[in-house]
Formats: sequence, structure tokens, C-alpha cells
Amino acid sequence: MRPSSGSTSSTCGAQPLPPEPVAIVAAGVVTPIGLDLDAFWSGLLAGADGLSVIERFATDDLKIRRGGEIKKLPAVAQAVRSRAAALLVAAATDLAARASLEAEPARIAVIVGTALGGVEELDHALTLDPTPRRALDGLYDSPAQALATWLGACGPVLTVSSACASGATSLGLGADLLRDDVVDLVVAGGYDVLCRFVMRGFDALRSLARERVRPFDRRRTGLLLGEAAGLVLLARERDVRGPRLGRLLGHGSASDASHIAAPDAHGRGLESAIRAALAAGGVSVDDLEFVSAHGTGTVLNDRIETAVLKRVLGARAGAVPVNSIKGAIGHTMGAAATLEAIMCLLAARDGWVPPTVGYEEADADCDLDYVPGACRALRPRRMLSTSLGFGGCNAALVLEGAV
Amino acid sequence: MTSPGIQVEAVGLLTGWGAGVAALPASAHDAAAGRASILLPRPPLDGERFRRATRECLLGVAAVEAMLADGGLSRESIRGTGTALIFVTAAAYGASNVEWLAGRAGTLHFPYTAPSVLPGEVAIEFGLTGPYVILIGGPTATVDGLWQAGRLIMNGQCERALVLAVETFEECEALWRRARWTVPGPLVESTTCVLLGPGDVRPVFHPVSADAALGDEVQTRAGCTLACAPLVALALARAADRDTALVGGAWRGRAAAIELAVAGQPARL
Repeated sequence: MRPSSGSTSSTCGAQPLPPEPVAIVAAGVVTPIGLDLDAFWSGLLAGADGLSVIERFATDDLKIRRGGEIKKLPAVAQAVRSRAAALLVAAATDLAARASLEAEPARIAVIVGTALGGVEELDHALTLDPTPRRALDGLYDSPAQALATWLGACGPVLTVSSACASGATSLGLGADLLRDDVVDLVVAGGYDVLCRFVMRGFDALRSLARERVRPFDRRRTGLLLGEAAGLVLLARERDVRGPRLGRLLGHGSASDASHIAAPDAHGRGLESAIRAALAAGGVSVDDLEFVSAHGTGTVLNDRIETAVLKRVLGARAGAVPVNSIKGAIGHTMGAAATLEAIMCLLAARDGWVPPTVGYEEADADCDLDYVPGACRALRPRRMLSTSLGFGGCNAALVLEGAV
Repeated sequence: MTSPGIQVEAVGLLTGWGAGVAALPASAHDAAAGRASILLPRPPLDGERFRRATRECLLGVAAVEAMLADGGLSRESIRGTGTALIFVTAAAYGASNVEWLAGRAGTLHFPYTAPSVLPGEVAIEFGLTGPYVILIGGPTATVDGLWQAGRLIMNGQCERALVLAVETFEECEALWRRARWTVPGPLVESTTCVLLGPGDVRPVFHPVSADAALGDEVQTRAGCTLACAPLVALALARAADRDTALVGGAWRGRAAAIELAVAGQPARL
């Protein structure tokens, strides 16, 4: 990595047009189907099912007791006090093994997305542990601070919390920091912990699947939650020496302004976010060869998302493969969008697109090519990843595999 | 359409001391008279839609209303895809989280535990369908939010941006008391909204090297307002008719600042 000027102030928005390419150099993950990138990827390609009976906390009073739980964290993370920070440290360890994070510490930013932050620590602070340290752990930005400390990064530390779209926005903001020459490296991504707080909530809302998660399938009944962390190393393309996974070409977001807990019935916000991401990246919709959908497995999300993709892709809609990895690992909330972006880049690298685990029977409202059954030999070059979240959040990323 | 710079066009400010900068005491410490926190009551907003909304959500709506009043603007002027919404808080999700953890809240309260629901309610109320960013943290996160808002405007991704910060403390006061070395008192509940629009002056972002004492004036007059502090500073600058303002602060070991142009006249959108 070639550090640039080392300046510590920057004028905003001083980017040339088209925007300076931002490389996604490497990735690191910890997930229910694999504790590092290689295991995650092989699990996705094999159609692994990472959903199991939850063991880490009591679920006796819940109707649904399954989720994408990581049964044993990697050794490096086991001593970390907060599970949220532990997930980030595990993913960062994997990332650091795959790329050099060398730069002036003040020029390294950490940007992570989360829906739940340190809420499990807040629970502990209220019930188990009266120490000041635990009270601070309960703040939503504490896991990001812990990650920055672990990495030795002294630049901006941002916590994005646009619910389940957080892991997309964090990558977009990271690219913007690089384009404005605010920093030289960004460790960006998302995480969330599967905990009683969120299980109780989705269980009460009756949003959880009674059996398996079946994105876009006629028999889908809901989502199952999972826990994970995914991180990528971002750098200006011109600063990268050596291999990279690909590029983040564009990022877009838009508010629904229609409901706090359900997507807009017409998907207008999602469509705006997709079109904004395409415009930001200077990419034509005709160039898209693969879509990683939010694909939660809820009746509403999958129908609306399909309708939006059909509007955006137009006549090509049926010819562009669309998948969801939530049938394999559950809905990992703040980590989801980052993991899905990583999946896109691995598909481009290796020429295989993972299947939509759980999808078996077509639905009249969901009539796209959802990559059923098994992984498919396909090397997409330009790809779209979509995300939605509570509060009417919609985000989209446009990605390009390494050439 | 891109813009060479940005400017502050209107500011809405409500704190535990009252409405606007005129309500701020000369010394928050003295005015607090030993109180650990200063409450900002639930705004009296009526209507079925707000029946379940939390106090924090209504405070967000009230700040935007105050901003519109400051700028002499209509609701219609900010509606639609042309307005970005940047929301920042260090702590406003605490109350709803504690309610849910304590088992005192019903099922329909659960979505309100997500920090994204506060700006979601604001977006619904004012019909804001443009880009959004939601950041968690203290004054440095607000500086980051102002930077991002400026970037969106200058790159033509929106025509204007609302930067909204809300902080509440009452329900989590005992937790804040445990960590009191991180937050010099008094804790003053606040809600602030700044409208940024196109301008000629390019903002200068200092992501890590700013003077950590920048927020001292706000701390002295308003007390500890966490993410609201840089926006309170912009309200003070606008009230003092300054052309530019360097605002910032420190949070969890990082200091950051941003220098912005401040329009002296009411906004014309």
C-alpha cells in the first residue's frame, strides 16, 4: 500500500468525475457456516445450512428457538469481553491474515455497521455487572471503538446504524473517505450478535420462520436471525499494489418515508437507492450480471424486492441471476450487506454463484432466476447488492470483480 | 446539480433549557444547581400516528419544525428526494432499549429500539425520501455527518441536507452516572436540526487533528449535549451573525472539526 500525503485535513467532495475507483483489497469474516473467509465461501457454495437450535441464551419462552448461532468463536476472540467486539476481532484477524494494514495510524479509518451495537452489554450492565466499563460497553459505538483499538487505527471511527442496511452504508462511507483523501485505508463492514434482546423482538413480531428460511419460495414464512461479522479493506485503486478482490463502484441510499417497520409497498425507496448507486458508479443497468438480494424470506420483502428488480432490470430481469444467502446463515442484520458484498466478489473471483438455500418452489409473485439447487458456474463482472432495514432504510452497492 | 460549497441556512434548537440559543444560560453548571441531567419534555405533538412514537422520535420532529421556523420555510420546501437526512446520536436509543430489556414495553415497541426508527419517523412526517446516513457517537460523529452532508450536496446527490441530532439521558441516568468521567455534567437533553444548502464556500474537514477544546463554549453554556454540541455551536454562530464557524469536539479519544459557511439571511429554497 502506498500512503499518500499524510495530511490531516481535507476539503469535502473534491473528487474528479467519474469518481475515483476504490478497491476492495481483501475480506475477513466470522459466520455460522465458517469462522473464516475460506470456510464461509466453501459453505455457501456447498449450500450449507448454518441455522440451528440456539444454545447460548435462554429461549424457553420463545415460539422460535433457531438461528444462525456461532457455536464456538475463534480462539483469538474468546478473551474479548463483549461478544460484539469479539466478532469484529475474529473477522479482523481473518482480514489481517489476507492483507497488509500498513499505513500511518491516523490515516486508517474504521467504519462498521450494526443494528444492535453493544445492546447485549447494556443488558449485562443493567442486570449483572454494575461496573462503569460495562456501562460504556452498552453504547452502540463501543464495538467499533474496540476494533479500532485492536487494529491500532487512530483515524475516524464511525458506527453506522441504519438497521439491516448498515453494512452497505459503511462501505459507501469508507469509499467516500478515501475519495476525499481523508484517509489512506479503511477497514469497513458490519456485525451483529444473535442475542435474546433481538430474538424476543422478532419472535413477538411473528417475523420468524416456523421451519426453514425459504427466500423467494412460495412456502416462505419469515426470516431467521443470525450472527456474524464481515470486514473489508478498502483503499484507493491507485494505491494498491498486488491482488485485490474487486472494486466498490457506487453506493446509494434512500428513505421510504412510509413505515417504520415494513418496506414501502411499492419499493420506491429501494428503487431510488439502486438507481442512485448505479448513477454514482457510472454503471448502466445493462451491465449488471448478478444481483445479491436482501431476500429475507418474509412474504412482503421478497415480493417487493422482486417487483423492484423487475422494474430496474427491465427486459433483462429474467436473465440476471438473483440470490439470497440468508437461507444459509440467517439474517445477520448489520453484517448482512457486507457479507453479501463479499459473496459477490468471491463469485466474480472464482466463477461460481452460490445457490439460494431453501428456495425450491416458485411463487407467482417471485418469478426471477433465484439460482435454485446448487451453485452455478458463472463469473459475473458487475453486480448489485441490495439491503433494507427498520426505519425505511434502503441501500444498494454496485460492485465489480477484479479484472 | 453539483455545487462548489455548502452553507448553513437554518438551525432549530431545543434543549432542556428551552427553545433556541436565547434560552441557554451563561453557565450550564451554575444553572443546573446540582442536577445531574436537565430534561427536555415530550413535545405535545398530537395525532394517531404519534400514539406509539417514543419521546426521542417526537424530539426529532420538533427540531425539524424549529429549523423550518428559523428559516421561514414551509414543510413542502424540504419534502421529496432532494433532501438528505443525516441523523446522529450517542445515546438517544438508550431509553427505548432499556424499556424493551426491562420487559415493560409491548410488541409494537420493539422496532423503536432501532436507532434508525427516529430518523424514519422524521422522514415519514416530512416526506423525506432522499439519501440518509445514521451515525452513532458524540460530537465527532456529528462532524462526520456534516462532512457527509456536504459531500452529498456538492456531488449533486441531493439539493439540501438536514443534519439532525437528538440526545436524551433521563431513562439511563444511572448508567451515565457510572461512566461520569466520560461526560462532564450536567447532561442536557437536546434536539437540534441544521439545514445545509448549496453555497460558494467549500467546507474544511479536520477528521483527527482538531483542537479538542473546540466544544468548550457549548459545554459552558449548554452543558453536555454530546452529538448535539457541534450543531449547538452552529446555532450560536448563526445567532451571532458570523460568516463561518469552526465546530467540533472530542469523543472517546478522537477530536474532529469542520469549518462551514453560515448564511446570515433566512433561507430561500
